[in-house]
Amino acid sequence: MERKEVMDQLTTIFRKVFSNDSLVLKDELTANDVDQWDSLSHMILITEIEKDFSIKFKLKELNKMRNVGNMIEMIISKI
Amino acid sequence: MIKKLILNISIVAVVVFVLDFAIGRTLRYFYFKETSGQHFRTTCSMETTEADLLVFGSSRANHHYVPEIFEDSLKTTFYNAGRDGNGILFQTAVLKSVLTRYFPKVIILDAGGFNKEKDNYDRLSSLLPYYRTHKEIRSIIELKSPFEKIKLLSQIYPFNSQIIAIATGNLDFFARSKPDNKGYVALHGEWPAEISYNDAYSAYEVDANKIFALREFINIAKKSGAKIFVIYSPVFLKFKKNLDIEVGNDVCSFENVPYWDFSRDTQFLSNRHLFQDRSHLNHKGATIFSKLIVTKIKQGILVN
Amino acid sequence: MVFTSFNFLLFFPGLIAVYFLTPIRFRWPVLLIASYFFYINIKPVFALLLVYISLVTYLLTRLMEKTEVESKRKTCLLINITLILLPLIFFKYFSVINNYLINFLAIRDLRWPLPEIKLFLPIGISFYTFTTIGYIVDVYNEEIEVEKNIGILALFVSFFPLILSGPIERAKNMLPQLKALNKFDYHMVVQGLKLMLWGYFMKLVVADRIGIYVDAIYNHIGQHNGKTLLFASVLYPFQVYADLGGYSLIAIGTARILGIQVMQNFKRPFFATSMSEFWRRWHISLISWLTDYIYTPLSFAFRKFKVWGIVIALMITFFISGIWHGAALTFVVWGIMQGVFLSAEALTNKRKALFEKKHQLNQKAWYIFLGICFTFILFAASQIFGRAESLNSALQVYRRIFTIPGALFIGSPAYLIYSFFGLVMLLFKDFSDEFMPSRFLLFESKHKFIRVLAYSSIIILILLIGVFDGGQFIYFQF
Repeated sequence: MERKEVMDQLTTIFRKVFSNDSLVLKDELTANDVDQWDSLSHMILITEIEKDFSIKFKLKELNKMRNVGNMIEMIISKI
Repeated sequence: MIKKLILNISIVAVVVFVLDFAIGRTLRYFYFKETSGQHFRTTCSMETTEADLLVFGSSRANHHYVPEIFEDSLKTTFYNAGRDGNGILFQTAVLKSVLTRYFPKVIILDAGGFNKEKDNYDRLSSLLPYYRTHKEIRSIIELKSPFEKIKLLSQIYPFNSQIIAIATGNLDFFARSKPDNKGYVALHGEWPAEISYNDAYSAYEVDANKIFALREFINIAKKSGAKIFVIYSPVFLKFKKNLDIEVGNDVCSFENVPYWDFSRDTQFLSNRHLFQDRSHLNHKGATIFSKLIVTKIKQGILVN
Repeated sequence: MVFTSFNFLLFFPGLIAVYFLTPIRFRWPVLLIASYFFYINIKPVFALLLVYISLVTYLLTRLMEKTEVESKRKTCLLINITLILLPLIFFKYFSVINNYLINFLAIRDLRWPLPEIKLFLPIGISFYTFTTIGYIVDVYNEEIEVEKNIGILALFVSFFPLILSGPIERAKNMLPQLKALNKFDYHMVVQGLKLMLWGYFMKLVVADRIGIYVDAIYNHIGQHNGKTLLFASVLYPFQVYADLGGYSLIAIGTARILGIQVMQNFKRPFFATSMSEFWRRWHISLISWLTDYIYTPLSFAFRKFKVWGIVIALMITFFISGIWHGAALTFVVWGIMQGVFLSAEALTNKRKALFEKKHQLNQKAWYIFLGICFTFILFAASQIFGRAESLNSALQVYRRIFTIPGALFIGSPAYLIYSFFGLVMLLFKDFSDEFMPSRFLLFESKHKFIRVLAYSSIIILILLIGVFDGGQFIYFQF
């Protein structure tokens, strides 16, 4: 899958989980930059990503996804 | 860079030193100018009173010995040097200061406790303002901690936490509403519950410093020629064993001074209206008690 | 020795002198010796515990690093963690459970074979145990490289500024710094001194002073009326903040002077507008440790239960937080309450956010103020369990608050006045840092004159109204 496709799909997921239709994703985006993205909602986000891309993360991999850019790379490596 | 640091720390140190000196000296000035309150009463005991009959002790002394009764019946001048929350170490220090100035004729010690306490000698802070001018009590104050001498380099330290008390002690308003009555402070509450029993055996470890202080107290009192009486005033409590009394009694019989134990006097144990709380008589109770003491003293003086 | 003892005031300058006079290569051994000296000064035999923890961890993590086989690595991990946890469980919980069993069986006329045990808890054990476990898990997760120098590892475990009461630091942050101790850095030293000064102010002027009143009330719950108990319960959170927060600042400042950056532990917690936000500002090092090593793995494992998985993870995490604070039912209740608060927020977060957006509430001062008050009330309510000696006492407090009338007990008016004075200063500083960060700069003023005056005034204030007699740091029982 192309990086841009992943980014687009991810944007849809983010917008759904955080109820924010105007959210725009960038590689450098972290939890600090998005309202409502905290440890309480993080797992919900992860679950949605796993479902949408049909992948399964390992616990170790969670720590390596500090920002959206890391996420995209991790996702690409699994599909 | 290290030079810069040392320079800056020195600047702050100098400013602190100057402020500490100025504020500390000001606090000292106003402390000794107080006209009412605990500070004033202690200063009276240590520096000004020349009463022929002195009472020493903690809050129990302070609230149990009524001046007028002693003055009228024994035809003597009187001062109550008791102070809340202060034990035998404090009391010995005050006596030492008194004896550098004059020799009272009668000394009453309202005996307290001799066990090791958790807060060690923190209460000795009430003596800190007198460290400077009273060489005779310095060794007692230094029991507080091995670093006390260093702490006393600060002029503010002796008056730590006292600034409000010093301010109120200087206000005429307080002097007028609660004028000093020869050191005595009357209590007016009444204990609402019936008497309780204290049979719990809690750990009791004798504090050697306190025993030493008691013996020193008795000895310097005797040497000064005064008649000394050691008294355990009434408590609103029944107990099988009271180690404070046992220890006090032992020391007093060894030193050959009278120890009067009022802890089992039924006149007080049966009447909660005479007590403000379990350890303190109110003014009504103190009056009855003082009369009892006066009678006993008269007999004691006649016998001798 | 503790930070507020005179011994420390003599020890620390002496150490600084030795430290900066030592060539850089030998500085970490100096710190190691100083750390053990510091800890031995409290109770010598417990230094053996530190040696045990350092040795066991060193051996097992190096073993773990040598193998690629996943199951072997996991075994090393589990054995290591178990061995590290054993002393903590023994000292902290064993005697409680043992004595509870004695009483439980005695009521039924049965005998528990062991006698009552009264153990003296090694100070700081809860802190350095967690710190070490963090290191072990990080090595297992390949977040960091195993530390091959046992001396550095021992220093990481025993580092004296942090050993007694945290902040609970991470190997990732500490190990590189301990291995690359820098030249004398003027700004770090000055920053460290400022942090220490404010920490001493918080502890001696605010925390210990408030503590005198709160202790007087909570030690005689049955004798005080509702208003008094309520007042003491409202003051208590401030006491804990000034106590642990102040102590943390002294720890961080001490480390800063030595050239080491340690994480912030408190971030003006009373301005949080929700419990989730509160827990991002209160005892940050503990909560971040719990999040990374307990909550995240748990919520990840339960993620198929969606929001309910989060609730379960929260409850377990805060249950652990509760018993970490103490082996008593009161702490368990305290922990459960935090779990309940946060679960409630997790469940209602979305709806709340939509509601706030619709009415533009987030910018309104009154709404923020409401959030702050509500959060404070929730926290203070849970802290009644943190302070009371037993579950019964805590419930008694609650009962009496609502049923016993009477006037507020003042005790010593002077002491309350000093408390308020200090507390207002503290809250004002936090308020201005939170909402107007560039104004009212005293310690950070551009003008040297103002800075010098500010430092001096705080020192003088500490001399005037700081509590020098007694006032033990409450987190020491951990």
